[in-house]
Amino acid sequence: MKIKMPEMPPATLVTALGFYNLLPAIVFMPTRRRCDQAASEAAFTRRDPNLERVEARREFMRDFVAEHPEVRGHRHWNTILRGGVASHHAGHIPAWKLVIEKLMSAGLLDTIFATATVAAGVDFPARTVVLTGADARTGSGWRMLTASELQQMTGRAGRRGKDNVGFVVAAPGLHQDPEAIAKLLKASPDPLVSQFRATYTTLLNLLDAYGSFAPIREIAEKSFAHRESAAAIAKLEAQRLESEKTIEQKLKAAGCELSPAVALGLERLVSARERLQQNQPQTRAELLRSWLDKVVQPGRVVGIGRSGRRLVLVTQRRNGQVIGMREDGRRASFPLERIGPVYAPVYQVKEETIEETFDEIRERGKSLIIPEPRLRDARCEESGSLEIIDRQIEAIVPASLDEEQRKICHESLWASLPDAESFERAVRQIEVLRTEVWEPFEQRARVLSEFGYLDFGAEQVSDRGRWLADLHVDRPLLIGEALEKGLFASLDKIRIAAVMAALASDEDRDYGELELDDAVVETLAQFEEIGFKVSTEEWKHGVEPAPELNFSAAATAARWVSGVEWATLVTETRAEEGDLFRMLSRTVEALLQVAGLAKVHPEAASTAAATAEILLRDPVR
Amino acid sequence: MPRGRDRTGSGRGQAPRHSEKRKPQAKSVLADSSEPHGRHLQPSDVRRLLAGIGQPEPGPFKPDPFQIEALAALEFEDVLVTAPTGSGKTWIAQEEIRRLLREGKRAWYTSPLKALTNSKYQEFSEEFGAEQVGILTGDRKENPDAPLIIGTTEIFRNQLFDSLRGGNEVRGDLVVLDEAHYLADEDRGHVWEEAIILTPPRIRLLLLSATIGNAEEFAAWISEVRGVHCGVVPGPKARPVPLRSAFLLPDKRLIPLLNESGKLNQEIAQMGERERERERDRDRDRGQRPWRGRRR
Repeated sequence: MKIKMPEMPPATLVTALGFYNLLPAIVFMPTRRRCDQAASEAAFTRRDPNLERVEARREFMRDFVAEHPEVRGHRHWNTILRGGVASHHAGHIPAWKLVIEKLMSAGLLDTIFATATVAAGVDFPARTVVLTGADARTGSGWRMLTASELQQMTGRAGRRGKDNVGFVVAAPGLHQDPEAIAKLLKASPDPLVSQFRATYTTLLNLLDAYGSFAPIREIAEKSFAHRESAAAIAKLEAQRLESEKTIEQKLKAAGCELSPAVALGLERLVSARERLQQNQPQTRAELLRSWLDKVVQPGRVVGIGRSGRRLVLVTQRRNGQVIGMREDGRRASFPLERIGPVYAPVYQVKEETIEETFDEIRERGKSLIIPEPRLRDARCEESGSLEIIDRQIEAIVPASLDEEQRKICHESLWASLPDAESFERAVRQIEVLRTEVWEPFEQRARVLSEFGYLDFGAEQVSDRGRWLADLHVDRPLLIGEALEKGLFASLDKIRIAAVMAALASDEDRDYGELELDDAVVETLAQFEEIGFKVSTEEWKHGVEPAPELNFSAAATAARWVSGVEWATLVTETRAEEGDLFRMLSRTVEALLQVAGLAKVHPEAASTAAATAEILLRDPVR
Repeated sequence: MPRGRDRTGSGRGQAPRHSEKRKPQAKSVLADSSEPHGRHLQPSDVRRLLAGIGQPEPGPFKPDPFQIEALAALEFEDVLVTAPTGSGKTWIAQEEIRRLLREGKRAWYTSPLKALTNSKYQEFSEEFGAEQVGILTGDRKENPDAPLIIGTTEIFRNQLFDSLRGGNEVRGDLVVLDEAHYLADEDRGHVWEEAIILTPPRIRLLLLSATIGNAEEFAAWISEVRGVHCGVVPGPKARPVPLRSAFLLPDKRLIPLLNESGKLNQEIAQMGERERERERDRDRDRGQRPWRGRRR
């Protein structure tokens, strides 16, 4: 039950909360920008009247700056100082968030405007938590808050030892829904859902540790994600045993001395026979359709309708529709069933040659038509196979048995067919469930095998794979290949920083639009080339594609290596400080990983180490 | 009481009506009185809503029963503690670590965020002495042989890999997995699962998690894969500080979100009803004049 109400001006909101003695408060806002705007606006229109507190803040912040010089002259300095309000979100550097957290716990702030990220992680409570809506923003739009998210938020309300009561206040907003909030407050928390997945790093480490795939498979099957499947497998396993026992009992009761395996063999033959019969075209139309499906392909000329006088050159097949070009050059689209004759030659689909194509068909006409299949021929072909199966079914009871025993066995085998079916079904389902967990690992193992990091057949990690296992980065294979190809060894500090930043950053995030110099662009292009080879191989084996390189991160990291001041970098990129901080700090971590490969890639390792050292200066520490 | 407030209204508790936005300096001083004014004018439900607001008397720290329970359980099994932030989960870890350090044993404390790792490092260094504590993150390595190591979960998992591959054995008698509900994180959750599966059963596990819907199932899984029983210790049923919910109306009146029987406040429900009626009217108008907006 949405109640659309215009959002209260932030100063009005703070004042109203103050009136009810509900301060300090954390006001949750959907975006970083809204937090910043609300804080500045509130500070501008509502100065903190308590001058002692203003002075206390000034002193506090002066002391803080002595330890964390990077927050000096922060653009929100005055907002905090004069207004006693602040914005807190991932767009700020850690030191700035820290000063706000400390001011808050010292009781020197009235209100913090924050995104939901505050709810996770650092503990800093207030008397009141304000929600301006029941929705959360995601990368792809809006969705309802979850019970757990709301609980994280309300968990901030009420300071232990400082408050008798904590409050959650739903405030006016365009996405406000008090009913939903009331419901969520009472809802039980969301269950923990496993996100277990296969990675190159895990695979290489475990294969190197255990020397074969089987233990890795066991570990994957132990995952929380697989827990339900594991229970299902256990049940199917029981079903399989049960069926086997029933078959045994039925045969025994009838006096047949054959083993249950024979019944299972019979089941396989019978179901093969059924499949064969089902695949057999039953009517002429069915036969014709499957034949057309095979022969109608781009480049062939077909006639429309039974007469087939109107000719079309097929250019495309899409969802059962055939698309092509008519003799007059116009486009035609029709279902497969309307096609009459199909002509054998396959032509190039080109506008210039289209006239010649139709001329040839008109000239040689009938001699080029592919003969349609006949139902009788098709049936004849299949019935040969059926005969073989029938003979095998007949022979399933050994001829060495006497007449009486053979009759008993035949009867009891057929009688236990349903049990054999249930046995086979269980086996198949177990296989499906087990493949589900293992397949992503197997796919990755095949890719690594292609590049020589492990030997799939021998189930062995190669020397190369051993150092790749130690490389704890997001995309080890790509970096591994770049190292193998000697790309890293030739790089200077600027370019190695650029490449690592392009990989370590968030794919879609904008880190500014600094110009890239030619050397960096060339390096990134070489890197992309390697990336393309890697993802082609991954695609072939069904591994989902990796994100693309982020060029804007590369340019920004290159600039930071060149030695500019933080303030300059922030001004030049116009990116949010927190994003820059995280990107550079992740770049450092990735570089330090490469720096650890001194034994196998000494040049790359030493450049990476030196580069990391340059990147690691205030505030990136 | 703020001057200039219109008190001739409905008689309900009313928030001040300032137009702070237009004239900042003049009004802000008035606006910031922290006393809840006009309390005698507020209806009883609002009075109840705001009753008892303020700071409690300071008292001596007394551990909560669930904290004691968790410590007792840790003596013979793994423990999963599920409680909201701020309810005192860290205290359990801290006391258990204190005990182990006194006995000359070793512990790992892992957390998902570098910021948390850094602040825990500082906190524990102050608590146990700097020489007792080391830190390991992607870009920081200090005192790595200390008996207590604070690190990211990834680094801990990597050490497990190393020890499996014939490197040094993971030395430790206890591993604390803080924010264990990160297991459900889309990108990094698998690391937590791997850490739980690969930690040798001889090492005690203490998992600190936000409240989750399937704690028992989660603990049963841990028991299964590690072969050591994992007990669940839920945090206190009541929050450490009780929570009340309210709704702030556009006219700055504060009313309870729920009524006494826990249902949505009638006044709010009626607002929603009126909104729905307006929507219906709009739809009907559109229905009657279908040409509208289609032709020009």
